[in-house]
Amino acid sequence: MSTTIRSGLSRYTLGLPLLLVLGLLASNADFRQPQNLLNFGGQIAALLIAALGQLFVTLLGGIDLSVGAVMSLSSCLLAVQPDPLWGVLFALGLGLAVGLLNGVGVALAGVHPLVMTLSTATFLQGLAHVVLPIPGGRIAPALTHAASGTWLGLPHSLLWCGAAVAGVAWLLNRSRLGLHFYAVGGQARSAYLNGVNARALVVLAYMACSLLAAVAGIYLTGRVAAGDPALGSAFALESVAAVALGGVQLTGGAGSVTGVVAGALSLGLLTNGLNLFGVSPFMRAVLTGCLLLAAVSVQRRRIVGM
Amino acid sequence: MSKLSSFLIRALALPPAYTGTALLLLAAAWLRPNLLSPMLLLLILRQAAPLGIAAMGQSLVMRGRSLDLSAGGVIAAVAYLLTSGALPLSEPLALLLCLLLGAAVGAFNGLLVVGVRASAVIVTLSVSMILSGIVIALSQFHAPGDAPQLLRELARTRWLGLPLPVLGWAALLLPAAWLMRRSVYGRAMDAIGANPRAAELSGLPHLRVVFIAHLASGLLSALSGFVLLGFVGVGSVNLGAELALNSLAAAILGGVNFGSGRGGMLGPAVAAFMLALLFNFLTSLGLGEASRLMLQGAIIGAAAWAYAWRHRGSGQH
Repeated sequence: MSTTIRSGLSRYTLGLPLLLVLGLLASNADFRQPQNLLNFGGQIAALLIAALGQLFVTLLGGIDLSVGAVMSLSSCLLAVQPDPLWGVLFALGLGLAVGLLNGVGVALAGVHPLVMTLSTATFLQGLAHVVLPIPGGRIAPALTHAASGTWLGLPHSLLWCGAAVAGVAWLLNRSRLGLHFYAVGGQARSAYLNGVNARALVVLAYMACSLLAAVAGIYLTGRVAAGDPALGSAFALESVAAVALGGVQLTGGAGSVTGVVAGALSLGLLTNGLNLFGVSPFMRAVLTGCLLLAAVSVQRRRIVGM
Repeated sequence: MSKLSSFLIRALALPPAYTGTALLLLAAAWLRPNLLSPMLLLLILRQAAPLGIAAMGQSLVMRGRSLDLSAGGVIAAVAYLLTSGALPLSEPLALLLCLLLGAAVGAFNGLLVVGVRASAVIVTLSVSMILSGIVIALSQFHAPGDAPQLLRELARTRWLGLPLPVLGWAALLLPAAWLMRRSVYGRAMDAIGANPRAAELSGLPHLRVVFIAHLASGLLSALSGFVLLGFVGVGSVNLGAELALNSLAAAILGGVNFGSGRGGMLGPAVAAFMLALLFNFLTSLGLGEASRLMLQGAIIGAAAWAYAWRHRGSGQH
């Protein structure tokens, strides 16, 4: 029985995106176009940011299914709020509040994460439809520019990705808090006995997750330049898929930013490649499923179940 | 301690399904008395049957500390096979084939969870994604159509005044409840849920028990698809899509938790009825989709919260 290393990385998690890139470069001329590479960055930024949030929660053995609903609701808030600054502040505040609710429910009341976040997701989805019944609304030009403009020739989407990756990587790898995340995720009781406030950390993880989901929602709203109450509907499961492809263990304690980047890249490359080959988007779900099955099959764990 | 408060404490200790159903019935009696006519209650019960059957499978795997989110995919596949005319078989034979498919999907899930020790969340989610993806891609060639005559007839049949789906649900539920309480398998499952490592060291067939639970859950998903299809009458690609997560909510509201069978088999069944009653009650209040979702989320969350708060520290958390 092999033991998992803390980063959760294996040659498969890192090899998959590399293989996909090489395969696409060799087989498809359109993929090599600089325009496509820029598009690609814009396509995966939202998924990457949401998946980085999911990483915090999964490191502690939890799961957050409300990511998509938070993204949708923040998009609706931005669409009905004329002042973009207030819109962004509302959306970020929403993220923090939802995360606080989820975290307190899971850590203090002991509700199972799947049920807790599922019920907040249902509530928020309803609220999104109340705030903005049909897609539309006006998005401030500043926000659109922030999401899809360029800076020194670099598309802004790369800056969003870079900032999110750098922030989370610093937090997990360079700060005391990051060490606590791995300690609690690995063995909550030992960490608690060593003086780590495990419950507060769980609340913090859910808050970070929802906050990053709100950021992903803000980015995506700017990119599509409209509010949409169904904007994030696919992201709850996609972010879990990205995290799992990146070698993060859903039982907690193992996972890394590098892995999540690799997972989000793999999913994005798959979408982009299948689009270029003109494959039906439904077959993409089938392929994603197969990839996930393959990814979890090569990482044998100790535990049976969840 | 007064009588009332001790009664309240005991009521809170029950799985939230029971208190929730009682409160909902009270609210309905006050605001929408029509909803409580025997005829409508039977209809609600019939509507709850697919969810109830799926929740049985879900609670079975959850007792063994696993999870099954593949019900949506299984039901989509079953509905497609039965309604698109892609299977040139007689109706009973096609139904049998669909049951086999459900069992095969369950066995596949079980094999990966037990044999490869893959995460059940990811395995069953991927299987569901693969099945529904294939179904949607295939429906470009054969569109789903009417449900088989046999299923629609069965869904409409009444026996002693009771709809057949409800009787079928009860016919599955009662033996299952008895088996989980009395049989060797049920005892083994309780031990494994309580402490997998201790159970394995004591020589219990840990892996086989979890595998069988997954197989049964796949089979029950297919059965739940039959009932749903007979009741709806026409197939569609997203039939039963929310059943996987709703069955999880039903199992937990019914008192079952990962590794604990508190609440037995009856709890999830009552929870399935409670959820069906809740959907109907909220619809009868004339609420739009948006407010219905909000109330639904708030009520499920509050129920799970109240129950977890009462039992905090006693579970695995």
